[in-house]
Amino acid sequence: MRVNFGLNGAPVTVDAEPYTSLVDMLRDELDAKSVKKGCEQGECGACTVLLDGSPVASCLVLAPQVEGRYVTTLEGLEKNSLMIDLREAFMENGAVQCGFCTPGMLISAYALLRDNPHPTEREVKRGIEGNICRCTGFTKILEAILDAAERIAPE
Amino acid sequence: MKPLPKFKYHAPSTVEEALYLLATLDEAEPVAGGTDLVPLMRDAACSPSNLVDLNNVAELNYVREDSGYICIGATATHAQVASSPIAAKAPALVDAVSGIGSPQVRNRATIAGNLCNASPAADSAPPLLVHEAEVAIRSLKGTRIIPLEELFAGPKLNTLEPDELVTEVRLPAPPEGAGSSFKRIGRRKAFTLSVVSAAAYVELSGGEITEARLAFGSVAETPIRTRAVEELLRGKALTGGLLDKAAESVKAEVSPITDVRGTAEYRRDMCGVLLRRALAEAAERAR
Repeated sequence: MRVNFGLNGAPVTVDAEPYTSLVDMLRDELDAKSVKKGCEQGECGACTVLLDGSPVASCLVLAPQVEGRYVTTLEGLEKNSLMIDLREAFMENGAVQCGFCTPGMLISAYALLRDNPHPTEREVKRGIEGNICRCTGFTKILEAILDAAERIAPE
Repeated sequence: MKPLPKFKYHAPSTVEEALYLLATLDEAEPVAGGTDLVPLMRDAACSPSNLVDLNNVAELNYVREDSGYICIGATATHAQVASSPIAAKAPALVDAVSGIGSPQVRNRATIAGNLCNASPAADSAPPLLVHEAEVAIRSLKGTRIIPLEELFAGPKLNTLEPDELVTEVRLPAPPEGAGSSFKRIGRRKAFTLSVVSAAAYVELSGGEITEARLAFGSVAETPIRTRAVEELLRGKALTGGLLDKAAESVKAEVSPITDVRGTAEYRRDMCGVLLRRALAEAAERAR
């Protein structure tokens, strides 16, 4: 079936079976390789994307469910100033080791700081509770997100 | 790589259309967030021939107050309820749904889905039980409204007929002097199933408990009310002695099992602990 939706600001049309998950459609049909496929159970957060602006596990979303909606992946936030701050903070704080969780982690962190630019440590932990990192032990990721929050210019 | 089994996909835009599809299609399952159903389908534990997606049924997406009830539409997500000023009148519910799953799950998963899934560990159930929630169930034959307790038939079993759809969960808006609380114990703090969960609802008048309701998750075949302990509390002042007695009595009213998350003995003991915590917070909020 044909699925029409907005991906990273541009309209796209994909011919996909209904039993295709959003993560597969994004990676295989639309070359959005930042979206990682981990557990396929909605547990690990590696496949996190924004659906109409909210973080969701794209392994649990069926392709036809995004008809008429907006999907944002890391590719679409390349030039976004908040994402640039986050990316730099991740690199400078050593928050990236193997890197597999990083795109999902950045999407969750982005949604958190977009809605709450100056979160407490607890709020950051809550914001990334759906993203598992098996390398860093989370501390450096936590520090990186708090560091990125400090880089956001006060309004 | 776990491919999903094949199915036909339907996206009705009205409740009538959804009910018609459920009544006429073979092996049809309704889906909203898919956070329970999609993993089950990947594990081949569930392979419906037809999926009826409720996300385009606009009339099912709401949290509103109507005729003294807080009404939650079938596709209202945990995130929607967690941030709703109307749902805030039932703090036990807000606390529970704010901690279910992860942000990614809460943005998709629905309260109605959590209940229909009928897990004994469903965190939305104990708060809704103490708030005396009802469930509106529709089919082409009509509408029936049942107490939430009657939706649960056993572990992962609900009492719905194949052509029926839960369209709304509603709870009476609590009066002045009421307070509720939800407490849980998990294997870790975030994104985990409850080993034991508890909700308390109290109405206080001049230091006396005029109404008390308690419910527990993961300690019986379904989420349960503990009515003997509730009776023990009614009409009394909330003293340390009464709490001790209630925390002891509750252990006789639950029937937990030992599984990967915890032992029966531990769960039984924790019912007493969570009862104290939940009752104390509910009373605090009632004052």
